This record gives sequence, C-alpha cells and structure tokens, in this order.
Amino acid sequence: MAGSKQWAVPLRNIAILLLIWEVVGRLDLIADGALPGISEILIGLWNDRSDYPLHVWETLKASGLGFVIGNLLGVVAGVFFVLIPMSLRVFRGLNIAIFALPPIAIAPILSLTLSGLTPRVVLAALGCYFVTMTATVIGLSQSDSRAADLIRVYGGGNWLIMRMVQFRSALPSILSGLRVAAPNAVLGAILAEFGGGGRWGLGAYLLGSLGRAEPERLWGIGVVATLIAGLAYGVFALMSHRFVGASRAVTMNMSVPEKAGDGSSSPVSSLLAGAMAVLLPFLFWWAFIRLLEVPAMISKTPIGVVEYLFFSPAAQSAQERLIAALWETLPITGVGLVCGLSFAFALAISSRLFPGFLRAFMPVALVTQTMPLVALTPLLVLLLGRGTSLTLWVTISVTFFPAFVILAQGISMVPRATRELAMAYGASAWQELRIITVPASMPYLFAATRLTVPRALLGVMIAEWLATGKGLGNLLNQSRGYMDYGMIWTVAALSVILAVVFYQLVVVVERRVLQRMGMSTAE
Amino acid sequence: MDMKLSRRRFLGAAAAGAAASAMPFGSFRAMAASPFAMQASWINDAEFAGYFLGIDKGYYAEEGLDLSYASGGPDVIPESTIITGRADLTLTTPDTTIKAISEQGAPFKIIGTQYQKNPIGIVSLKSNPINKPEDLVGKTLAVPPVNVISVEAMLKLNGIDKADVNIVPYAYDPTPLIKGEIDASLDFTTNVPFTISQQGAEATSFLLYDFGFTIFNDTVVVTEETLKTKRKELVGWLRASRRGWEENFVDPTVWPPKWADSWFNGTGRTIENEIYFNKAQQPLVESPNGIFSLAEDDIEACLSALGQIGINGNRDMFDTTLLEEI
Repeated sequence: MAGSKQWAVPLRNIAILLLIWEVVGRLDLIADGALPGISEILIGLWNDRSDYPLHVWETLKASGLGFVIGNLLGVVAGVFFVLIPMSLRVFRGLNIAIFALPPIAIAPILSLTLSGLTPRVVLAALGCYFVTMTATVIGLSQSDSRAADLIRVYGGGNWLIMRMVQFRSALPSILSGLRVAAPNAVLGAILAEFGGGGRWGLGAYLLGSLGRAEPERLWGIGVVATLIAGLAYGVFALMSHRFVGASRAVTMNMSVPEKAGDGSSSPVSSLLAGAMAVLLPFLFWWAFIRLLEVPAMISKTPIGVVEYLFFSPAAQSAQERLIAALWETLPITGVGLVCGLSFAFALAISSRLFPGFLRAFMPVALVTQTMPLVALTPLLVLLLGRGTSLTLWVTISVTFFPAFVILAQGISMVPRATRELAMAYGASAWQELRIITVPASMPYLFAATRLTVPRALLGVMIAEWLATGKGLGNLLNQSRGYMDYGMIWTVAALSVILAVVFYQLVVVVERRVLQRMGMSTAE
Repeated sequence: MDMKLSRRRFLGAAAAGAAASAMPFGSFRAMAASPFAMQASWINDAEFAGYFLGIDKGYYAEEGLDLSYASGGPDVIPESTIITGRADLTLTTPDTTIKAISEQGAPFKIIGTQYQKNPIGIVSLKSNPINKPEDLVGKTLAVPPVNVISVEAMLKLNGIDKADVNIVPYAYDPTPLIKGEIDASLDFTTNVPFTISQQGAEATSFLLYDFGFTIFNDTVVVTEETLKTKRKELVGWLRASRRGWEENFVDPTVWPPKWADSWFNGTGRTIENEIYFNKAQQPLVESPNGIFSLAEDDIEACLSALGQIGINGNRDMFDTTLLEEI
C-alpha cells in the first residue's frame, strides 16, 4: 500500500506536466508552435516509423560500443590511479584534457582521420571515460578506513583491500558514474553522426530533418534519443539503488584521514609528477598525429600550433581574432558555471527535502540531457533570442545534470545515524541539512565543481556555435569552413588549457577547505 | 556509409526495373575495375542525382571504375578527404579550394564544375520580401559561418556596408525564417523555398550570382598527384557523370521517386522536395558546352569575384584538358 502510494505522486506529477505540454503545444503557445504537443510528436513518430529502425540501430551500435570501451577504460584507469596514487598526478593533465576536449572541435578531426563507425565510437567513449574514472576514484578513496585497517592488521596488502573493501564501497559511486555516462555516450555518437556524413544514425537523420521546418520530427528524434539514454540510465539507477544499501556504513568513521597521503613523496618527485602532468597531454596529442599519419596540412602538432600562432604570416590576425573571441567567451562562462552549480546544489538539497519533487523532475532533467542541442536550438532561439540568456540556459543545461548526480549521491551517502543524532536533539530538517548533510557532502560539492568547469566552457561554445555567432565557438566553426586548420587546433588546445587551469584553481581551494574540515579529497 | 557498386546493389537496381538489359555487362566489368572513391559535399539529396543515376545504370562500371560514394555533412571538409587520401575526387566550394591553394599551398586542381552558377542565394518570405541586396539593410540575415565571406563580398560588390546587416549563424533550419525571427537566410535557392511552401508560406529568393558574386559551386577537385596517376579514371568519371546528369535532366521528375528506397531512404527528406530541387537546379547545372564545362570567361568571372574577398586565384588552378578528352 505504502509502496504504491510512493509511486502515485510522481506519476501524477508527470501526468500533469505532460498534460500541460500537450495543451501548450496544441495551442501553439510557445514560440509560435515550435513546441508541438505530445500527441503531435507521437503521430509524427508513427508516420516516420519505417525510417527509425536503421537509424536507431546505427546509433545503438556506436554509442553502445563507445559506452563499453569508455567505461572499461574509466574503471581500469580509476583502479590503477588509486593503487598507485602518484599516477593520478602524472595523468591528471591528460584526464582533464580528455574531459575538456570540446566534441564540436574534435568531431571534424575524428571524421577526417578515422573511418566508418570509429569517429562515433571514439566520441561516445570520450564522453564516458572521465565521468566513470572520476566516480571510480571517488568511490574507492571514500571507503571506510576502519575496514581497510582491519585487513592491514591481518596482513592484507593494497590489492586485498581493493578487492574486499574499496571495490564494494565504490560500487554505488561507479554505478552513478555509469548513469551519467549513458546519456553522454548517446549524445557523443549523435554529434559525430550529425557532422560525419554517414547515411545512418539518429544524428544523420536529424541533419536531413533540420531543413524541413517540422518541429514534430526534431522532437520525435529527441524523444527516441531520450528513450535510449533513459533506458540505459534507468538500468544503472536501479542497480545503484540495490547496491547502495549493502555498502553504506552503519556508523560514521570518526578518525581523521592522514594528510592526503603525500607523506612519502619527496618535493623532487612531486615536482616531476607535476611536470609530467603538464607534458603528457601534449605527448598524446603529438603521438595521435604521428600514429595516424595525418598530413601536416590538416593536423597540427603542439609545435605546429605555436608556429601558427606566433611565427606564421597569419600570426597577428590569428592572435587578434583569438583574443577578441576569448573576451566574448570567458565572462559568460564564469556566470554560467555559477548558475549551473547553484541550480544543481539547490536541486540536490531539495531532493532530500522533497523526494517526490525529485522523482517528477528527473524525467524532465533527463530530456534536457539527451535532447540533442542541435535539435533544441531552434526552439531555444525562438524562445530566448540570440543573446546572453540563451547562452546561459544552454550552459546551465549542460552543466547541472552531472553536478546534480554527484551531489545527490554524496548527500545520500551521509550515514543515517548521524542525521538521526541531529534529529534526536530536535533539529528541524533545515538545521539538520545545515549542520550535517551539507558539510558531509563537501567533497562531492568540490568534485561536482571540478566536473562542471570544462562543461561550462563547452556549453558556452555550443551556444556561440549554434546561435549567437560570437566568441570561441563561432571562431572554431568559421575556421572549419575556411580550412584554417591552425585555428581549429589552436581553439581546441586553448579551450582545453583554460579548462585545466580553472580545474586546477578549484583543486587548490578544495584542498584547503577539506583539510580544515578533516576530510579527504574526493579525487 | 560507402556505397559500392556491389552485386547486391546491382540486383536491387535491376529489381527496380532500371535498365535491366544493360546492367549485366556493367557489373561484370566492375569486378576487374579499378577502385575509385568520391566524396560528396552533403547528405544524399537531388544535388547528387547525376552520380546516383550513373552508379545505378552502371556508367562508371562501363568506364572501368569501381566507384565508392561517400556522402558529406557539416563536419566533412571535402578537400580534407583528398588530402588524407580517403577520396580520389571531391566536390567543393571554389572559395575554400582556391583559398587553400593560394594561402596554404594545397596541391589541388579544379577539373570541372557541377554548378555553372552557384545555387546559394538570399531566401526570404514574400510577406517580407528581400529582392535585392539593398533590401538587406537593417535586416537580420542568417548565414552558415562558412559562407559569411561570400555574403560580405556580395554586399561589398553592391556598395553596402556589412555593418548595416545583422548577420547571425544559420543552423540549416528554416524555422526561424518562417516564424519571422530572422528576415532572410542564405541557403540553396533550389531547396529551401519548397520547405517554406510546405509550411504554408511563400518564399522569394535571389542568387548571389546574379548580384556580382559570380562563382561556381560543387567544383570537381582532385590532388595534383591523382591528376598525374589516375588521369584515365578521372576522364572516365567525368564522362560517366556527364551521362548521368544528362539523362537525369531529360525529365527531372523521373528519377527521384525511383530512389525512394535506395539513395534517398531514411534521409528524412521527401521525394517531392527532391523533385523540386532537381527541377530548380537544371538551369544552374546545364551548360551549352556540356555539363562540368569550365568556359574561359566563366573561370575569369569566378576568379574576379573571389578577388573581391581577398582570395587570389589564377588560371593555373584549373585544368580544363580532361574535359576536352571526354
């Protein structure tokens, strides 16, 4: 009885939302009919039903393969990083670089250098790797140190601790990573399909359909993409739900973790690790080009970019365009980051206070994650124009979801006993949040911030590319049209470097705050 | 993605009733034919009708070519595919090609052109018509970022300050135009007006070509290396493609419906749209000197228009000798 009631409220809320959508869509209230009613979308889907199977199959193949490869790499890398903590610092630059790579910049390069399904698989895998790797590392490093101590006392080594303690405690975290990775894989594949010139795949279908001015079709494709991603999301959410109960600590660990585990490393070796972290992404960049044997005209090595930017005849004009673009892109990125993060935090907190609201909101949130932005943009432009508000909305929509998932996970991991302690002393729900839940989820807030920084930059660039015609996003797109390969590589490299610098800033603040609070960094 | 002239494809074409008697020889010869790859500049639509027809009827096979056809998309820079060797021949916009030759020393040669007149133009609604460049002053015009320099050139040629026109990115979707969020867009005039009419509005358009920006489009481009090593194949490709285009234009309404379940399957576009496209492009493709021809004064007009936007090409970038061998 209680179980069915628990589901009745969110179902009712969803039904109300769908009803409002239907009425608003049917009456063409939003942007003069750019948002069709649900029934109109469904009728469109039915009429186009013969088109879908092949497109869906192609997208499933690419995103599924990318999902498996990206997550496998993510988990393996995560375990490796926890077993050998120094490696995490050596690979940090590369990890962040992979995460911050703007898909819109590398899609043309991938479809140029790789053939067939590969560009799609690579883009899908890239969307999964970082999220899952981070989730794995967080999960493994947040395990209960008392259980690890027990194994050590009985003579067990790192590997045994990994197997018996850390893996178990990391499972919910890894599953929550997979949850975020699933829509990422679908979107990555669709983006590569959209640009790559293949015949099949939802992205290719979307491109052909864009010119028809039929919103029903665009929304139909979005709905199908959402269903695919939503199913994958649901599977991992369900698994995570089942596992989280079995691995949560019953009581709270009161011992303060030793200081970041850095005691063993000398200043020299940590300096070396830092240098490696900076060099490694460039090394990979260079190796990628060398291994694929892409002609030098198209592919620029790091040295090629420096040459282009400082010593070529086009250097001065390139610098001017780049600085002007940066000036347009950076301020709005900062604002978008703060907005996205605040939104995610407010949402995660309210998910504790009003669980019903969360369950009703979740499907809507998922739609914003899986609806390809190329399909959403016409609607957004009609609603919001081509100004700052559009850029902000796009940025919030690409940032809040991963941040929210991490935050919600952190909040749900707070041991019940601690919360009940506050309640027992008569604290209200708000007081309990302020005193227990929010401070306890600090490592997750920082992890979410780190995750959000590169995405904020990406969001702004996407909006610039698709709607406002300003900044780095537009510069990138224009350079693609002019075959200005030097600029394509420069913008891609610069956006990655910027993301890494911002990321590093967050890490510095994070270390200070968490150390003072006696918590370990969720790295 | 690649559409090879395979046995299955041949059987499919034969089953569709297309030239059943001529096919067996074509497909027989295809087995010993030399592989040849072409990269198109966009997704499968009527823009490439001549090639689809040539493939289906075995014209390439008759020339000893085993043609593989790759469709394009927004991220596919056609010239890049011939640099990397993924294609032997590609269709490009002459502005990017000539810019790449003159500024980056790219080893390209233009050996023909599909469109004598570039089909891109300014499309607007009859209810808010923009019939000439002057009408654009104070208006919002959506332009794919690739084409911004072309539009700016056309404005300059007509004495209009580009600062007087609000240029925003165009994302290949005519919805903002139909809803009045923008006043005009730059697109293929052979294509978009149909979509607009389907939405119950009426479109009007003019070609950039007719207002001084006299350039070709879908120029046939190869690398100098290919020109040296595969001359015979290139001439064969030009001959087969010309046959395909000529037959297609005998009645432009005939072929698109036949491709509903093959070339146009799943593109998300309608056959009526392709028929409209095919009819509209006929006067832009056909030439008294034969399809693909590069007449001297047309080359000159193309070069001088590009010179207006700082792209400095010369006659050496074109090689018209292959056309003479057809």
